[in-house]
Amino acid sequence: MAFDVDKYTATSVSVNWDDLDLERFREHPLPEGSLRTLRYMADVEYHTVCYTRDLLTTPSHKEAEMGAFMTMWNREEFWHGEALATVLGIHGINVDFDELKAKRLKLGWRDKFDPIKQSVIGKVVGADFVAVHMAWGAANEWSAITAYNRMAALEQDPVLAELLKRIAKQEARHVAFYTSQARERLAKSTKAQKFARFALSNFWAPVGSSIMEKNEVKHVMGHLMGGVEGRKAARKIDTAISGLPGLEGLTIVDDSLNALGV
Amino acid sequence: MTSTDAASRARFDVRAFATTARGTLRPELQLEAYEASQLSPDAVHLLRYLGRLESATMEQLRNLLVTATHKDARVTAFLVTWAFEKFWIADAIDQILVANGSVGAQVGDEGAARADRSESAERRGPIRRAILAMGQGVPLTGVHMTAGLIDEWVMDTAYERLDALAAHPTLSVTLGTIRSIKSRHESFFAEEARRRLAESPKTVKQATSQLAHAAWPIGAVDRSDTDRTFFEQTVFGGADGLQRATTIGHRVAELPGLTPQTGDAVARKLRS
Repeated sequence: MAFDVDKYTATSVSVNWDDLDLERFREHPLPEGSLRTLRYMADVEYHTVCYTRDLLTTPSHKEAEMGAFMTMWNREEFWHGEALATVLGIHGINVDFDELKAKRLKLGWRDKFDPIKQSVIGKVVGADFVAVHMAWGAANEWSAITAYNRMAALEQDPVLAELLKRIAKQEARHVAFYTSQARERLAKSTKAQKFARFALSNFWAPVGSSIMEKNEVKHVMGHLMGGVEGRKAARKIDTAISGLPGLEGLTIVDDSLNALGV
Repeated sequence: MTSTDAASRARFDVRAFATTARGTLRPELQLEAYEASQLSPDAVHLLRYLGRLESATMEQLRNLLVTATHKDARVTAFLVTWAFEKFWIADAIDQILVANGSVGAQVGDEGAARADRSESAERRGPIRRAILAMGQGVPLTGVHMTAGLIDEWVMDTAYERLDALAAHPTLSVTLGTIRSIKSRHESFFAEEARRRLAESPKTVKQATSQLAHAAWPIGAVDRSDTDRTFFEQTVFGGADGLQRATTIGHRVAELPGLTPQTGDAVARKLRS
């Protein structure tokens, strides 16, 4: 079924945690490894606007529907960052904008070239490039839901679980948008399918890989996707991705975990 | 103002802004009021043009994000909420247009763009923008903030003019709401622009160079020549319009490091 953007924009809200007793973390703090993972997640959420940049260098930004989605999506992800930053703040870990800025400044030349690279490929490949972005976005959003659900299951803290459940629920709507877009665009073009398959199998890496230190990526992937249950969850993401037209048999998540030594 | 006053003045609170963002305006538009009293064709035309400009946030975001501006997490946090509020402003305008027997601002072909070689810099695509931005670095963010501020002044003047032109009590209330939402955007841009211009001669130099040719409002280069001419004549034409353009020019000239020449360039461009 096609994604209803009007309905989405009309019902998009910032994630709410006013009713949750986050203060309990003062007496029952989360373990250090979990805080490290939450910190990673918060950074990735705040970084969404930069991922948007890549999408905006494709012809997609001229479509009103896409613009409407991106506006709400960005805002929801920003609030996920705020929610996680609040939890971290109670643990004495301050996430402020200046520090995020310092981290972005460290990204260096590769980051500067990214929009150029994206734009050039977009020009060469044309409208089919949007399909690649949609498939890529779907893979990332599926990963996000899985990560939040895994974190909730591992931690077994009722308050954190509830907050993560709320975040994951919003991520589910993002998945719905990206998959409906990807499915439709891939189904229409074999060239888009081939290009998406090539891009995902050669360049996809776990969400956050492009902005976080490798050690952090390894910690988070090991924490959430390691072990029997973690790998089972990872394979579910692969199954979902390979359900998209032309992407049958892809195992990009499993492969990336193997490459990381998880 | 002394520097102590400036320092003690609270910095724009991006988090508080995000928390109190205004979403949909639909419940308060009183669209039924337009049934008995429709807006004039000129008011509809101006409203439609403003709606097109308000809805072009993604184009604006792209132009900012392919430069060093995307690294400034405080600015990007602001822009997320800014885009959200503008989305709903554009939506409100669409609702009013439909209630006046018209169609949404983005519906239909708007006509050919203006061919003006002096505006080619603003028509740059993301590739050229990103490459040029590498040489401009962080001072370019100050230029973006300055342009954002001037754009708010231009748009506010346009909304004020629309209010007078339409002379419609219901529209007047909505325009008041829209202007108050946008006044917070102005506050952010003003604070960022003033600080960055005051701190960086490079920002002043880049801003002076860009403002010599910049088209207003931001995004006008992508709009049709017909609509732009209508806007320039309706908002900044005639003796009253000249006064409005001159006022904006004076405000530009008063920004740190900028000169009356730059103010004049902006005022001139508003009318042509």
